[in-house]
Amino acid sequence: MKALMNIKWKHYINYVVVGAFTIYLAYMAFAGDMPRSQTTLYTDIGVTIILAVSLSMVVGFLGELSLGHAGFMCVGAYVGGKLAATFTEMFTDLNEYIIFVIALTVGGLAAMLCGFIIGLPALRLRGDYLAIVTLAFGEIVRIIFLNSGGVFGDQSGMKTPRLDRQILPFISFILVLVTLFVTQNIIRSKHGRAITAIRDSEIAAKATGINVTKYKLMVFAIAALFAGIAGVLSSYTENKIQAATYDYNYSIEMLVIVVLGGMGSINGAIVASVLITYINNVLQTQLQGNMAVLKNLIYAIVLIVIVIYNNAPALKGFRETYNIKNLFSKIFAKKHDPSKVHDDEAKWDRVPTKIDIDEVLSVDIQTGSPYAPDKSEKEKN
Amino acid sequence: MKSVFKKALALFCAVCLLLTFAACGGNSDKTGNSGNDGYTADNTTFKIGMSGPLTGDSAVYGVAVKNAAQMAIDEINEAGGLDGVKFELLAYDDVHDATKVEANYAAMYEAGMQLSLGCVTSNPCLEFSAFSADDNVFFLTPSASNDDVPAEDNAYQMCFADGNQGKVAADFVNGLGLDKIGIFYKSDDSYSKGIYDQFKANINKDLDTVEASFTDANATDFTQQISTLKGCSFIFMPIYYDPAALFMMQAKDDVVANATYYGCDGFDGIESAKGFDINSIPQEVTMLSHFNSKATEGTAADFVKKYTEKFGKETLNQFGASAYDCVYALFNAMKAAKDAGEEIDVTISASDLCEILKEQFQGDFSYSGVTGNDITWDETGYVSKEAVKYVIKAASEK
Amino acid sequence: MEQIITTLINGLSAGGTYAMIALGYTMVYGIAKMLNFAHGDVIMVGAYTIFIFFTMLGNPLIGLLIAVVLCMLLGITIERLAYRPLRGASPLAVLITAIGVSYLLQALAQIVFGADIKRPVFFDFGKISVFGLSIAVSTLITLIASAIIMVVLSLFVKYTRTGRAMIAVSEDRGAAELMGISVNKIIVITFAIGSALAAVAGFFMIWKAPSVSPTLGALPGIKAFAAAVIGGIGSLPGAMLGGILMGIVGAFSNSFEFTAPYTDAIVFAVLILILLVRPSGLLGKKRREKV
Repeated sequence: MKALMNIKWKHYINYVVVGAFTIYLAYMAFAGDMPRSQTTLYTDIGVTIILAVSLSMVVGFLGELSLGHAGFMCVGAYVGGKLAATFTEMFTDLNEYIIFVIALTVGGLAAMLCGFIIGLPALRLRGDYLAIVTLAFGEIVRIIFLNSGGVFGDQSGMKTPRLDRQILPFISFILVLVTLFVTQNIIRSKHGRAITAIRDSEIAAKATGINVTKYKLMVFAIAALFAGIAGVLSSYTENKIQAATYDYNYSIEMLVIVVLGGMGSINGAIVASVLITYINNVLQTQLQGNMAVLKNLIYAIVLIVIVIYNNAPALKGFRETYNIKNLFSKIFAKKHDPSKVHDDEAKWDRVPTKIDIDEVLSVDIQTGSPYAPDKSEKEKN
Repeated sequence: MKSVFKKALALFCAVCLLLTFAACGGNSDKTGNSGNDGYTADNTTFKIGMSGPLTGDSAVYGVAVKNAAQMAIDEINEAGGLDGVKFELLAYDDVHDATKVEANYAAMYEAGMQLSLGCVTSNPCLEFSAFSADDNVFFLTPSASNDDVPAEDNAYQMCFADGNQGKVAADFVNGLGLDKIGIFYKSDDSYSKGIYDQFKANINKDLDTVEASFTDANATDFTQQISTLKGCSFIFMPIYYDPAALFMMQAKDDVVANATYYGCDGFDGIESAKGFDINSIPQEVTMLSHFNSKATEGTAADFVKKYTEKFGKETLNQFGASAYDCVYALFNAMKAAKDAGEEIDVTISASDLCEILKEQFQGDFSYSGVTGNDITWDETGYVSKEAVKYVIKAASEK
Repeated sequence: MEQIITTLINGLSAGGTYAMIALGYTMVYGIAKMLNFAHGDVIMVGAYTIFIFFTMLGNPLIGLLIAVVLCMLLGITIERLAYRPLRGASPLAVLITAIGVSYLLQALAQIVFGADIKRPVFFDFGKISVFGLSIAVSTLITLIASAIIMVVLSLFVKYTRTGRAMIAVSEDRGAAELMGISVNKIIVITFAIGSALAAVAGFFMIWKAPSVSPTLGALPGIKAFAAAVIGGIGSLPGAMLGGILMGIVGAFSNSFEFTAPYTDAIVFAVLILILLVRPSGLLGKKRREKV
């Protein structure tokens, strides 16, 4: 019991929630009677979470703006999908799930390779220049696959195998768990600290001996790997995959989710993925006929309001009094126990690592303050 | 670093194992064709589902289909429906994006859809085709012309298939005995590229072709493409009327004055494109199609009049005409089946209705309407009707 | 040879429009330090305004004047409602609101104007022939207009009080504020100028290719952003150069049958190559990082 209490639940809460949902999906898959509206929504949510969490590594933790995430997904979907389609045709007695795992691996690795290649200019370019290069990469990949002249399908798409739609949500959430496990372990290790150090100040990070090149390439490659996996997964949800799906608008949608969830917050990315996918799904399926034009209007207004509410400096005080975290802590307020040493390790990604010079200079050193220099023996007497 | 990868690898293996187990245990009944799943039990009207681009770049096509289908349904309802039972249209927006189709399909299926118009555009309709085959839902698409759309036996087309159009156009061009033609197509569009491929495969090999293509139809500067096609006296344009009108407006005096612009059914509606004065174009504009929006007599003229009264001229095109016909064809088929003694209740499941309609469409059912007379369907689901050559505008003699 | 020159002229024709949009983009970016993804949609609003007043009054130039004023007001409103509350917040948050504003304008346009494409046809000046080559007058006017706008803007920024205040704000916002410059006012002026340029760009776009639809500005906006980056974002001559370069590369790619489907990919590949050689664009300033 005590051991259970001592676990840093903050670290694991997302595994518990996602894991519980995965078990529910497994149960539903074996019962086999989920309506299609649910299977498609859950699979979509799973794919979106994988994309958002992996993009969050690049944008939120490494601090590089990437507008080409859909490009990696495109590589994964086409390479993995093509492989799966060929294998299904060639080895008719091979189990479709084994083919799926092979496709997942190959598609992911192909995307990873692309991520590595795109990571190279990232060493030289910064900020918006890198953003446009990633956007350009995504568009180039899309156009090449679109006009592959029969190798990867034609303009009407490429036929890929499908899996049982009852099991697909379960599989997609298993992959969400894998993504979470890998990214969180990287982020919470010393590598993660190195990555955030690069985000906060590349020069300072370099000066402390962090291998900036290695980490940048690593983050780009791993993020691309998961985008590729999400791509293979999405290729299994479609009858024919279409290059037009993976255009820059899709990348921008992912970026919206990451920013809404809060930079450098994996849980935030998960919550935002669920929220945005759900909102989009509801708007799309509820506003039919003449009402469909209102869909984008509502979405745009919701987006602007959320971003301003979450980020406006003027609303800082308001946010601090009325947010979910505070409401929860009021309900489950623990008594302050001075004998207990608080471990704030779990908070490290929230602690601003940049030292604000103005703040340090403006602190008045008071007598008896722990920062004041010790008095000499003479003065004491 | 190493340990992270080791862990990841271990995890990956675990997942592989898990998935393999799942594979053994999972039931691979992919179709899940239960027939009666109860979604239609509470229906008080016959529900027709459709998905199309109601917003975004291609919205004009989706809106046309939605309007015309709604118009047809209103007319049927006013006339008393099918023995007193009315019809209802469920129109969802897919923004011409195939990934959005599954959610739309699920929504309409669970809302009690019994028969469908499929999707308006080709690529999304290929998805729709696969899903509706799972549940055995009958659909007759007004405008998704890809060759693979009617591959399943529940799928039928009201428009000509791309491959067929390409072939017919190639035969027509071969018959003209030209020695050099220009081709202008949209390289990222499955409609345009589909016709183009078939056309190229079927024209005489010794015919010289000059090709130009574009990708973005929106406010595109076509000057480069026009320079390429300048000297051609016959230009084949398997594209929709919007970019075609744009091309013609820009090409006005650059392309030889007595040239012929030859298009497919995508050209329908070109003379009503707003702000586009077709008479200012010196060239001849011709198309091979099933609907003429300039018709002055017959059912087509009636449709044009009714549609423009209700929704204006802006969205009048062959998509709408075809959708109007689809609704009436479905209605007539249901009526014919009922007259033949089939039981069609308002709560009939999509799958049961599909079997009835399939029998009708494979039988001697034929339909005459706006887009043709005595329309029948072959066993795949391709439409069989007459393609008429319409000269929209003759070349002005200079 | 003649074909190469024709292609070059066609490239200039397309490039002039990109240059015009990129000028507005780079102006806002240089001073407000934000990627204004809604810029393309301001162009769309301008184009619709021109279309409406053109059909009402029959004169596109009056439409253009009204569009310029209306777009300025729109730019100021967007800045006030969507961007100013986020001044001081993370630049990415501002980027996301810009995307939100872009969706909003597109959705509103479809609700108000409908989904169909409008085609206003303006006056046609025909072609003139120079050294045996025929050039459309509209191409010449676009190029000359964007060159004039570029020069005027450069002079404005260099020699007027407001212009120099703009430079100050772009160099160091805090220091500029301390010098008594009203940062808010300067940024509002920047948005007004940027949006006015968008209206002008909208005019030239629909003059050459008469087609007005709710998504009119989306892709040209992205391409102009790429053009601004090629030239070095924040640099006015750079935006012009980048736009024209993009137009020319696109025209040459379109002139061959086998490269035409890949045109966008080729343009973007050129962009990547240029940025790899010159990481801050062709005419961009090299940034030195202070420690």
